[in-house]
Amino acid sequence: MSNTTVLNAVTGRATGSAVARRLRTKDSIPAVLYGHGMKALTISVDRRELRLALSGPAGVNTILQLSVDGNTYPAIVKELQRHPVRRNVSHIDFLQINMSEEITVSVPVRLEGIAKAVVAEGGLVDAAVDSIELRTTPLNLPNEIVIDISDMHPHDVIHLSDIALPAGVVAVGDADLVIVTVLVLRGEATVVAAVAADGADPAAVATPADGASS
Amino acid sequence: MLMPRKIKHRKHHRGRMTGISKGGNELAFGEFGIQALEPGWLSARQIEAARVAMTRHIKRGGKVWINIYPDKPVTKKPAETRMGSGKGNPEFWVAVVKPGRILFELSYPSEDVARKALDRAVQKLPIKARVVSRHDPI
Repeated sequence: MSNTTVLNAVTGRATGSAVARRLRTKDSIPAVLYGHGMKALTISVDRRELRLALSGPAGVNTILQLSVDGNTYPAIVKELQRHPVRRNVSHIDFLQINMSEEITVSVPVRLEGIAKAVVAEGGLVDAAVDSIELRTTPLNLPNEIVIDISDMHPHDVIHLSDIALPAGVVAVGDADLVIVTVLVLRGEATVVAAVAADGADPAAVATPADGASS
Repeated sequence: MLMPRKIKHRKHHRGRMTGISKGGNELAFGEFGIQALEPGWLSARQIEAARVAMTRHIKRGGKVWINIYPDKPVTKKPAETRMGSGKGNPEFWVAVVKPGRILFELSYPSEDVARKALDRAVQKLPIKARVVSRHDPI
């Protein structure tokens, strides 16, 4: 279940990229809080406090008690922007929630166990997705979905409808969505050219001049 | 090696590599990946060398994604040729990479083995790069 953590925020920051940049140099992270009919509040949170708050068992799905100017708002992290190279958090969107109302949250999937039948065949249990969307009240929100793969055999598939969810939790999406598959490999590891140019043939071996057309 | 089958223009301008990567900065397929920290050209040979280093280390039971594609031809003039007489001949293909780009992704059950495989692949690249994981802390 998701933990509740108190996080202090400061209001009254000016908006704009230059102000946000100055805030980040002072180890504050610009953020915004909105949801449930409230007017959006531009706030900032301390980087260290945020890291501690989101380092619990629920990770980024931790239910936060956001303390802003004496008021406390129950909130979750709606969006977390990171710097592409430095990887540190550059901005956060907090969504105010009602603790008794259902919300849709993306929860990570963790595979547990070793599929001995698959390993013996030289196969690989591959998680097709790393998280699934769940609809539940904040108090029932699981930290992660654990899927036991120890009984899997080659060519087995686990669909969204096969996953046992806690009471009060409903999966959002197609029931036939593939969550875990078993890849049976021959020889070396499977290689996929994820981004191929138009008409590209990964197997082709030739000099550039051979493939060139003027 | 990776190379386009059909191209519109045989010879490209060199171009500029300022700024950081606009897209492809997050892991999209695998659990671990290699992220570029410098701009540069990665030739098809270097991409292939990195792939081989990775797949040889993990042997079986893994899945590798190559997120970049060498679609830019690089020309060279022959040795001991006087300047002039036009642009040289296409010699090899490169992928243009900017800081932040995820170059390779890998799925493998053991984190230790996956990280070592990716470290070996990083050694084959001409730019600074690091191993990233989906489980990296905030």
